[in-house]
Order: sequence, then structure tokens, then C-alpha cells
Amino acid sequence: MRPRPAAGALAGVTVVELGDAVSAPFCARLLADYGADVIKVERASHGDVARTWGPFPGDAPDPEKSGLFFFLNTGKRSVLLDVASGEGRDALLGLLARADVFVENQRPADMRAWGLDYASLPGALPDLVMTSITPFGQTGPCADWNAYDLNAYHFTATGSRYCGYRDRAPLEHGTFSADFFGGYVAAAWTLGALYGRAAVGGQHLDVSTAEAVAALFTGAQNIGAYAQEGRFERRSGSGMSLAAPARILPCADGFVWMIALETAQWDGLRAAMGNPDWAAPELFRDLFERGRNADFLYEMLEQWTLTLPKQEVMDRCQAHGCPTTAIYTIAELVAHPHLAARGQLVTLDHPVLGPTTVFGAPVRLPDCPGAPAAPAPLLGQHTAEVLG
Amino acid sequence: MTAPAPAHLPLAGIRVANFGWSWVGPVAGQTLGFLGADVIKIESRARIDINRTLPPFAEGIVSPDRSLQNHAGWASNGSVTLNLRDPRGQDLARRLVEHCDVVLENFGPGVMDRLRLGYDDLRAVRPEVVYVSMPAAGLDGPLASVRTYGTSLCSIAGLDSITGYDASGPVTMENAFADPLGGIVGAIGALLALFHRRLTGRGQHVDYSQQEGVLQMMGPALMDYTINGRVAGPIGNRHPLGVGAPHGVFPCAGDDRWISIAVLTDAEWRALVTAIGSPAWAQDVRFADAAGRRASIDVLHAHLAAWTRDFEDSGLAEELQRHGVAAAPVLDIADLLHHPQYRTRGTFVEVVHPLGFTETIYGAYVKTSRTVPDIRPGPSMGQDNERVLQGLLGLTDDEYSALMADAVID
Repeated sequence: MRPRPAAGALAGVTVVELGDAVSAPFCARLLADYGADVIKVERASHGDVARTWGPFPGDAPDPEKSGLFFFLNTGKRSVLLDVASGEGRDALLGLLARADVFVENQRPADMRAWGLDYASLPGALPDLVMTSITPFGQTGPCADWNAYDLNAYHFTATGSRYCGYRDRAPLEHGTFSADFFGGYVAAAWTLGALYGRAAVGGQHLDVSTAEAVAALFTGAQNIGAYAQEGRFERRSGSGMSLAAPARILPCADGFVWMIALETAQWDGLRAAMGNPDWAAPELFRDLFERGRNADFLYEMLEQWTLTLPKQEVMDRCQAHGCPTTAIYTIAELVAHPHLAARGQLVTLDHPVLGPTTVFGAPVRLPDCPGAPAAPAPLLGQHTAEVLG
Repeated sequence: MTAPAPAHLPLAGIRVANFGWSWVGPVAGQTLGFLGADVIKIESRARIDINRTLPPFAEGIVSPDRSLQNHAGWASNGSVTLNLRDPRGQDLARRLVEHCDVVLENFGPGVMDRLRLGYDDLRAVRPEVVYVSMPAAGLDGPLASVRTYGTSLCSIAGLDSITGYDASGPVTMENAFADPLGGIVGAIGALLALFHRRLTGRGQHVDYSQQEGVLQMMGPALMDYTINGRVAGPIGNRHPLGVGAPHGVFPCAGDDRWISIAVLTDAEWRALVTAIGSPAWAQDVRFADAAGRRASIDVLHAHLAAWTRDFEDSGLAEELQRHGVAAAPVLDIADLLHHPQYRTRGTFVEVVHPLGFTETIYGAYVKTSRTVPDIRPGPSMGQDNERVLQGLLGLTDDEYSALMADAVID
């Protein structure tokens, strides 16, 4: 196995990934962004399932043209292995013997069947940091459940508490929310464990995407109150119930997130609107008084926002110290000068997909910049190079 | 007064000065703290963090040390109280950074510079310091000075544009998802810079734009836009790439009880049909293959919802799982505390606060086989003043008392 030329904060770090879909591939891609040599093991039967998910050009399925696979696997090398066979397992163990980190998101029962669970790894890998990322984790009654991001996300109370109308279903974010969050969490803890490995040795990190969100997001600001008071809140479908304005409002061409809570922000919003008479009453300078008159307030604000493009509403508000922001679509983000100025759009040339644009790395380190460094690999593109 | 973390943890020996406030900064510090760093949050009674003032309070006693809303997210940070409006407070903060490896902050651009605690100020006293800024949209670029709240940050990252039931428009996430997410990514930035420091001996100013952390979640939408020119909008609970059908949340018996069901493969579809007793509607030719199920997803969901509504959610999920269907109950806040999955994993733990009350916070949400974190309750204001200002910086009793009397140490 030839290591890749080293550059970046993680130069010299070798990662083996046995990942499908989003969580583990995202975690390992973050490490690749910053210079780790990531060897992605794809199971010989079909490769990463994301290769079948698209989006594909013209919606024509092709395992080498999946946009999601591309996004999550830039900068990695792909090795095809039938890990369920003795030979495949031996080859994988050979890779692990020279690796620093092993990231995987297979079902625990499958990993046990393949003899690849942490307890079954040879004792000769004392320095390996193994990170398992699954919807429910390695323990507990749900550990071996079949589950996707949707199931994990709604196991966190995020939709119940914070997203959707009270008389309708709780909502997902509209992306792989728990998988992305869990992937970030896994990357942080993997880096921490790796940093201290010389002192404390290798170990197994058991990440549940559901648990990460349930603890850090929904549990964080609700569980203490519930444990003491025995009461809890549910989603309301709007922004904030007691104070106003704090809500998504429609504009001529889309939506803004309108916020003006502090008195100076409210005065700024009034100025942005040209100080209309309806907003003049002194009692409206209190955010709770505005909350008590929310129906009137939002009706009047909408009459203003609907006349203007969202960027205009945002610019006028921001110029007056009111923190209202436009809700950008993906098309507007790709065209936004801010992301261009910060190098957040990176185009890589893929032999089958052609030039393809992805986001840059999510945190900027000026002295050792990170970025997606190479297009996603073809299925098994590096098998001979890595195993040979 | 709390002791530094035990020496067996991976970041033992790393000290962090955390000027972060609200939710992002404390979570960034906590992440490093759970991994073993000694994290000292610097705050001030002259400008109490609003998160310390939110009800409910432990045992109903109103105090900035007893807000149950922030204690979980702030756990395993220490606290030193310095009035940073006073130049002597700023000097003490700089002296503290001489003993630190990492500085964290999430003020707006320029605030730390005005306090003479900017990167250049602190690099002067600690050249190899890793300094992590976590502003809304980064340290430069046209949006660098944008004002946002945590709850609305996802607007400029596009996430709000895809959250909602359907094309009628976005539905907001009613809390700041970007905050704990940003705390984690900020910690990633700190750790990467520590690796680089180990390789080179150099520190640096890490720039974490909260917009860019959330932006990654728009990856699926980005690819469909750049490859096919389609602009994603709200999709309810459907699969982000339209792969699965059924793929949604369905009503169950009881008030606000629901089950999530995701069918992506033909095998899962056959398992679902068997589990629900092979009703006549499931034999509809439109549902015979994945493409047909996707094309008729509304009809399919209506049939399924009519069937699920009489069942209790957890029992139904277990029954569907027995057949191999990806299904799980949709939990509410109370369920988080009581569900056997979270109880088995010790996700939420009751701790005794140094002030004597008990509170429930989250514990180590990642299970580590060798280095189990030390979970400490959300800090009381100034609980580490003596340990840090006298023990570490060496203030004498007289100096300490004088600075207390002048409310520099407040």
C-alpha cells in the first residue's frame, strides 16, 4: 500500500472506510478534506449504495454518475473487497494493520457476521481508532434495527418538538439531517481519540446518529426542564410564540427570516420600512407587547415584505441593525458572491461525470487549508494500487 | 472549584480559554472538555449570557447558576468571571491565554479585537495558540458582517428553503440547529489545528463560518442543481433524493403519536406488504416496482396512513422491524428520557450540581471503549476563579481580593 503524498493537518494519517450512504462516508470525507489518506472499501457485490441513489444526469442510473456519491467521496481511493469472504476479510485486516482509523456504518449484526466488529479484530491492532456510526449505536434494544436517516432523525424528538404544524406530521429537515450531524460528531471524536492515541492507545467509538442529535440538540434545552417539571413543549409551526417578530415571512420572490426582538432591532426594522404610522406606538417597543399583537403585526409586516424582493428586505433591515436574512435557495447560493469569495465552490473533473462542483471544506485553516482534493473514485479504481 | 480532567483522557494537558457564549461556543468547549481538555469559559456578571437567564430554574430558584435550559449544553466547561470591559480584566484574560493551547470565540467580527483579545493580541503572548473564531458567515467575504440569530442562521445556508411540507413554502426549525452543529465543527477546527501544531509547531487563526458548516447538509440539493438544474424545495418527510416510497411519517393511535417508515428496496417493500397482511390495495400494479411506488407515492402514503392509525407506535415499529422494515416510533421530549434505547445507553444522566441541586443533562453521547469522559454539570459563574487566577496565574490573596473589590473579577 503506497501512501499518498502528504499535505494538510492530517498528513500521514491513514483511514480505512467501510461506509455506505451518508454518515460514515461524510465523516471520512471530512478527514480526507484535511489531508488524510482515505481508503474506501466498497463491497464487491454493488459498491456504496449511494452509487444507486443519484442524482444522475438526466435521471439515468449509472454507478459512476451519482451526485450524492461524488459529494461524499471526493479525495478518497476505492478498493473493491468482498468482506463477507475469508479472503476479503484478510485483505481488509491487512489494510487495518497499516491504518490509524477505521470508520464504518454497517449494521452491527453484519459486522459480527463478517468478523469485523471491534471485539473480533485481532489484538495486534491496539492503536487503531475504530469509529462505528449507526442510527441507534452498538448497544440497546434498537441496535440491530433496520433504519435510515428518516427513522433516526424522528427518534430524536426534533420534529415533534421543533418542526412542523401541531396538527400535522413532524418534519425532517429535507436532507439527511441526522446522518450529517452524526458524521460531524464522529469526525470530532475520532480526531480527539487519534490526537491522544500515543498516550491512551486506540479504542472503539460507538456513535449513534439519533443519540447525537437527541442529546446535543433536542435534549440539551429540554431534558432538564422535563425531568424537573414533568412538562414539555411541542412544535408550533411558527418561529417564537411569546415575542415578535420572529418568523418566516413571504416576499415578492421568496421568503425572509424576519427577526427584530431587541428594541434597537425593532427601531431598525421600523426605519427599514420608512417608519410607517402603524408601527409608531410606544407600546410596540416591547417585544412581548408585539407578541401579544402578533396577528396584527405580521399582517402589516407582510404587506411590506410582499412588495419587495427578499434580498432587498434583508439589505434594508441589515443596514438598520435588524438581523433579518433571506432564505436562499440552492441556485441562489451557487450564484452568491460570498461563497465564491470564500472558495466554497470547488469544481473537480471526473472521468465519467465531467467537471462537477461541490462545496469546499467546512472550516478554514489558513496555515494548512483543507479542500476536496480529487474527484470521487470510480468503483474499485484503486484496488490494484492499494492491495498490489 | 473543580479539578482538571483526569489524565487518562485523549486531550489531557490541553487547556482551552473559551470566550464563546450562547450555545455554539459552549458546545465547542464541551466537545474538547469531554475529550479531556481543561476548558475555562470566561464570562462576566456585567454582561450575563442570556442563556443563563432562561427558565425553568433548578428547584424554581431564579439564578444565573440554575437555568436548566443551558446546563446540558454548557456542561464540562469551567467558568472564570472577568469583566472584559475593564482593561485589568482584559490583561488577566491575556495572562490566562499564556497558559492555553486553544482559544474559542463566537462574537461578531471585530468584537475580540476591540477587547484587545484578537488573534494578533493573543499570538503576541502565546505564539503557537490555536485561535478559533466561529462567526455567522466567516471572517471575510461580502456577508462577513451579516447579523443573524442561531434560529435563523439556516436561512443563509439554504437549509430553510428545503424544510417544509410541500411547495407552499418553508416551515422553520424552531430552534438553533446550527448552534450545536457549529460547536462540533468548531471543535473539529480546533483539533485539526492542534494536529498541525504538532507537525509544525505553529498555531493559526481558524475561521469557522457557521453558514459553511450547515451548507454541507445542502450537498444533495447542490448535486441535483449542478447536475440537473433542479432547485430543491420543501419535501416533507420524503427521501432527499426521491429514492424511497413509502418514505414518511404516519399517524398512530393516541395524541400526536407517529411512526416513521422508509422503504428503499424491493425486499423492504415485500416485507412491508407481508407485515401489513397483504391487503388488496398493496397488490395494485402501480406499486409493483420502485419507480411505480415513487410515481404514486401520495396514493401509497394515504393507504398506509389509513392502516397505521389504529396501532400503538412502538409496538407497530417492533412488529415491522421483525419483518425487516425500517420503521421507528417518532419520539417526543418525554420519550427521550424514558425510551429503553436511551436508558440502556445512558444518554441522559442525573448529576448533582456543586450548588447542591440535582439536574438531568446529557452524558457522553459517544460511547468510548477506553477513555470514558468526565461529565461535569453546567458551571456556576466563577466556580474556577481561585483555581485559575490564583493557582494558575499566581495572583496573591491581596491582589485577588483587590480585583474582586473592584469587580474586575466579578
